[in-house]
Amino acid sequence: MSCSKLETDIALYAGGDLPPGRVPRVEAHLGKCADCRALAEELRAEQALLSELRDEPLEDAMVAQVRQRVLAEARRAGFTPRGALAPLLALAAALVLAVVLAWPRHRSGAAPRAAAASHAAQAGAGRGPAAAYGAAPLARKSRHHVRRAPTAQPGPPLLVQFVTDDPNIVIYWLVDQKPQGD
Amino acid sequence: MEPEGIALPMTAYPRENSGEVAAFERIMSQCERRVLRVALRLLNNPQDAQDATQEVFLRLYRHLGNLDEARGYEPWLYRVTVNVCRDIARARRRSVGLMEVPEPAAPQPDACHDAERAQQREIVRRGLSRLGEKERAALVLRDVEGLSTREVAGILGSSENTVRSQISTARLKLRDFTGRLVRRRS
Repeated sequence: MSCSKLETDIALYAGGDLPPGRVPRVEAHLGKCADCRALAEELRAEQALLSELRDEPLEDAMVAQVRQRVLAEARRAGFTPRGALAPLLALAAALVLAVVLAWPRHRSGAAPRAAAASHAAQAGAGRGPAAAYGAAPLARKSRHHVRRAPTAQPGPPLLVQFVTDDPNIVIYWLVDQKPQGD
Repeated sequence: MEPEGIALPMTAYPRENSGEVAAFERIMSQCERRVLRVALRLLNNPQDAQDATQEVFLRLYRHLGNLDEARGYEPWLYRVTVNVCRDIARARRRSVGLMEVPEPAAPQPDACHDAERAQQREIVRRGLSRLGEKERAALVLRDVEGLSTREVAGILGSSENTVRSQISTARLKLRDFTGRLVRRRS
């Protein structure tokens, strides 16, 4: 077999990557071809140089700079490892559900808003932080923000919005009001 | 994979989940230099390599809860490193057109390495930067990082036969390049 047809096998042989079934043919050729033996030697020398690249020291400053950037970016973005938020979101969803169930008098007026809040929390629990980020626009700057529900019926409930330390978790609470005129 | 870095301070992390923070700290300490080194070899540009390494570890931080520690983090890290470097290289090509990859800075041989060996490594480094994207990734993982053909195939999402073909082609191209350069210099 000609040298050119064996070149790719010699390149694999030099690095120990040639399948065992093809080794005898290459070794037989190397035994009688000085040019291919030289090629194999050059390839081995080249591999030695490549492996030395692994041992080249990296500048500590370069590594430290990357580490600082990773930490700063993680802190800035408030990343949370996926899965860590699931228990908290489930708790928030349970709280919302409990409030809704314990509100028989005004359920008809409050249901859409409560359901929306519950849905957002449950969706976040089911899909992880990405979903929670999606619910983030509901959050407000203030830590304890109260706004009046738009329903005009007697005794409309107040929608209380608790913003936690985690911007991804917002807890909604419907609060009964005294009937107007009391 | 042996530890190659310095322990990170726990307080530096924004989360309080100590288990995951500790895992992240450990993995980053063990792997940051390896990831940076691979990124340097694939991108041949220190700034791009730093950007790539940053992105790799931010992805690790985001996905830590979903990774199976029993299977080891190294294959995941290598795979993400290769993908991030590929994206950065493509973006760079888009932004600078088809400009040639810049030459790496001249090596700074320390007292323990002789100048001739350092020069040979520099030639090999230049040769690496001229290989195609896939051939370079296969050769860096196999011959620089010392992974097995099977591991490289798993990381690159290719068959072992494809990886063998890539590394044999890459080795021969590299040998041609270094041979030409050495002949020209001599």
